[in-house]
Amino acid sequence: MQSKFASTLLALAAAAAVAVSGAATARDLMIVGFGGGFQDNARKHLFQAYEKASGVKVKDDVYNGEMAKIYSMVKAGDVTWDVVMVEAPELVRGCEDGIFDKMDWSVVKKDKFIPGGTSTCGAGAVLWGLSLFYDQTKIKNGPTTYAELWDTAKFPGKRSFRSTPKGTLEIALLADGVPAADVYKVLATPAGQQRAFAKLDKIKPQIVWWKSGTQPVQLVGSGEVAYAVGFTGRTVRANAENGDKYPLLWKTLLYSVDYWAVVKGSPNAKEGFKMIDWITDAKPLLALAEDWAVSPANKEAAANPKIAVKNPGMLSSHVADGLFIDTEFWVQNGEDLEAKFNAWVAK
Amino acid sequence: MTTGNGLALGLRTFTAIVLVFLLAPIVAVFPLSFSAGELLTLPTPGYSLRWYDDFFTSSKWLLATRNSFVVGIATAILATFLGTLAALGIYLGRFRGKAFLVAMLATPMVVPVVVTAIAMYFAFSFVGLNNTLAGLIVAHTILSVPYVLITVLATLQTFDRTLLRAAATLGAPPPAAFRRVLLPLIAPGVATGALFAFATSFDELVVAIFVAGPQQFTLPRQMYAGLREFLSPTIASAAVLLIVCSLFLLAANEYFRARGKARTAPDDPAEPN
Amino acid sequence: MAISRNNLLAAALIAPLFAVVVASFIVPLAVTLWTAIGNPEVRETLPRTTAALRGWNGSDLPAEAAFAAVAAELAQAQESQSIGPLARRLNFEEPGLRALLLKTARAKDRLSAPYRTSLVELDARWGDASLWRLIARNAAPLTTLYLLRSLDLTLTPDGKIATAPADESIFLALFARTFVISFWVTVLCVLLGYPVAYTLSTLSTRWANVGMALVLIPFWTSILVRTTAWFILLQREGPVNALLLGLGIVDAPVTMIFTRFAVYIAMVHVLLPFVVLPLYSVMKGINPAYLRAAASLGAPPWKRFVRVYLPLTMPGVAAGGLMVFMLAVGFYITPVLVGGPEDQMVSYFIAFFTNQTINWGMAAALACLLLAMTAILVVVARLIVPGFRLGSVSP
Repeated sequence: MQSKFASTLLALAAAAAVAVSGAATARDLMIVGFGGGFQDNARKHLFQAYEKASGVKVKDDVYNGEMAKIYSMVKAGDVTWDVVMVEAPELVRGCEDGIFDKMDWSVVKKDKFIPGGTSTCGAGAVLWGLSLFYDQTKIKNGPTTYAELWDTAKFPGKRSFRSTPKGTLEIALLADGVPAADVYKVLATPAGQQRAFAKLDKIKPQIVWWKSGTQPVQLVGSGEVAYAVGFTGRTVRANAENGDKYPLLWKTLLYSVDYWAVVKGSPNAKEGFKMIDWITDAKPLLALAEDWAVSPANKEAAANPKIAVKNPGMLSSHVADGLFIDTEFWVQNGEDLEAKFNAWVAK
Repeated sequence: MTTGNGLALGLRTFTAIVLVFLLAPIVAVFPLSFSAGELLTLPTPGYSLRWYDDFFTSSKWLLATRNSFVVGIATAILATFLGTLAALGIYLGRFRGKAFLVAMLATPMVVPVVVTAIAMYFAFSFVGLNNTLAGLIVAHTILSVPYVLITVLATLQTFDRTLLRAAATLGAPPPAAFRRVLLPLIAPGVATGALFAFATSFDELVVAIFVAGPQQFTLPRQMYAGLREFLSPTIASAAVLLIVCSLFLLAANEYFRARGKARTAPDDPAEPN
Repeated sequence: MAISRNNLLAAALIAPLFAVVVASFIVPLAVTLWTAIGNPEVRETLPRTTAALRGWNGSDLPAEAAFAAVAAELAQAQESQSIGPLARRLNFEEPGLRALLLKTARAKDRLSAPYRTSLVELDARWGDASLWRLIARNAAPLTTLYLLRSLDLTLTPDGKIATAPADESIFLALFARTFVISFWVTVLCVLLGYPVAYTLSTLSTRWANVGMALVLIPFWTSILVRTTAWFILLQREGPVNALLLGLGIVDAPVTMIFTRFAVYIAMVHVLLPFVVLPLYSVMKGINPAYLRAAASLGAPPWKRFVRVYLPLTMPGVAAGGLMVFMLAVGFYITPVLVGGPEDQMVSYFIAFFTNQTINWGMAAALACLLLAMTAILVVVARLIVPGFRLGSVSP
């Protein structure tokens, strides 16, 4: 009986060893994004299309913007993500921290991008935006500006904001009457920062904070909150699926650019640059735009009139109304404001 | 003694309420996993098996299930092996400071999990064990071994040494006596330890949050990601499957405990039950 | 002194586990402590500047060599993409330094000897001796900054301890909150668990086994599943609200999710079995003869309880209570899933600094403090409950 037990044990151990080692063999190109409908459609029109065109196998995954995994990968020298989609300030800081490779402009054609669509370590992917929305089947006349959003008497109910200072502090200043052009000048001063936090304090008990892109639509949909500031792409998608419940208030738009970056130390870096060049071309982006409302950072694609007509969520048609989230400001002040924000939110 | 009866009734009602409180949430997950709707709300709008279907056809959930079992079994084997050996060593040895040694080997139980998790994360980042199954197995082994150690030590305490002496007088050399008398009698205790190790690894989340990358996600880790991200009732189906696994483990544990009790002297007057 | 064969064998049997525990647990804890006090950024990124500052007396400004070195090394660091950690470290010490360092790095082509003048022309801060003192101070291999910040203190540029700015001082309040929540959770668990354990201990074996099985089921169910269940139940449109509305207790759905209330409910739910189990085992072991003796001596029921039963059960209460308190202090998942930002405990911030802000120094410092507090609790536990061992909880 002992020997039978021992041999079963050995067999299990061997199986486990094989299973464990099997996970570490040579791998396909891994591209990681923020998930959601964009990624589902990008998988079809960008990643799998590239696989067909180039013969290189591509796998994709989702992350929440948490840079720590990338930092620990690079530090350990065991990089398992090759291409990552990053928000602008994280890209610049990551570049300074040496976790992203400098973009290979000999492979990726620099001049196809819109102004602001390139960075030392990143190639522009899409524009993304935050805007206010609510369920207009439940609420006939909701707030149309941030100043109105602060009026809890006229517009009762909970509000939901993104649980980061970026995008939220600007809203507070806009609500307090600071003109869009001056927002970052004011926010750069200690007095301006205090002003933003004081403004947020006024409605803090009514705020429900969200961390993941799916939450705003879910919170409004389930009635947990009355008004939310969420990603425009998801709002547009929710409208397409559930009938036009959520009005897109373009005057409340804040927008920025998401970039593709190659992780430093990736064994598939060369292929990664080639892929980035391919998926930032006009043709695949236009195909993607047929299924999902994107605002590409590619000049030619963005200028294509068919897209603007088909996708009401096309940000480039609305950027005149909106506030561009200043990358350089957040690179310089991000750490400090994040610390202050987290202290404030945890009080 | 009507006050006595009234009090007893009151206590039993109270106990019943508390037990309902303890079980209701677990029970509530079951109907939710059969919900036909998409939001996580009860009562459910109709019933369907779509979330189980979602679970069993999703490569993410299947990978998570595979990882959970691989890591769990490997952890159970490793932890049981190391823990049982150490317990035997402590039992057989004659030296001072046994209690201190046990306390030291059991420190992973005392240290808050998040501290252990982050310590492993930092240390692993230097040797490249983060985002690997091997690293996760090592981490889970560290967390489970104290349970194995203490369980086996407790079992050894109830072991009657005279049996070994009897085997010696019957001509059995120490290794044989060990193998054929000691090990079989403590086997239920060892099995309990192994179960505990598996259960600890299977349900473990905090260390997995830090140490596991997306390819090493275990079931709890995938559920956690789902709760923060996707929020669909597939999580409820995963929860039901986890509960069913827990029930199996509980039943197995009780079985081994009963067997263990039967094997030690059953008419020992010190036994409380 | 011969080591008996027995002990050699014993050592051989214990050695593997001992080695694994040391290598995979003790060493990582040591690494964490090192991370909390390590200060490598300035020395690694600005070696020549550090060397040039070694002879400096701390007043006026350093020599030209230091200025030249810092200009060259910052530019070099930016080129090799290693400037980030330095910028982050110094910015953490003094907000605004990241911008200064990067500005200086990028301005390489506009700077020329004598750097003493051109750097100050670029930015007046380079002419401030306290900045140089800060750099020189941080050339030291160890720092207390992370530990100080974890206690809401900070270092002035000149290296003196001062209180941290109010809008960043949350950690003392955080530790207080962690202990308060843990305390009330423990109290609630004991208040709820004691009667339950007592009732179960008075039941016939069959019913007692049924009762214990009902307590064991949640005990063996993972914390995540139980917390998830509460997450679902406490939603605005969830069953608890539906029940309250149906019974007419409230007129409108109550917000329960992401509140302190939710944290308490979920934590009590998760930790209650940890009190019931040891208490039950202690209560089963109480000899009923004691109570009968007290009755025969004329003691009324309440007196029998207070003077005889309660003291006999105290070891169980203490063991269960301490276990619950220690677990509660280190809780991570439950507050994160069902609590709001104002309900987060220390463990949340440890995870936050690791995964979100990439400030390993702060994460490690908080972890070390949490560990120290837990260690103190264990020592106190040993003193209050003789024979307190964590192995005393048997399922």
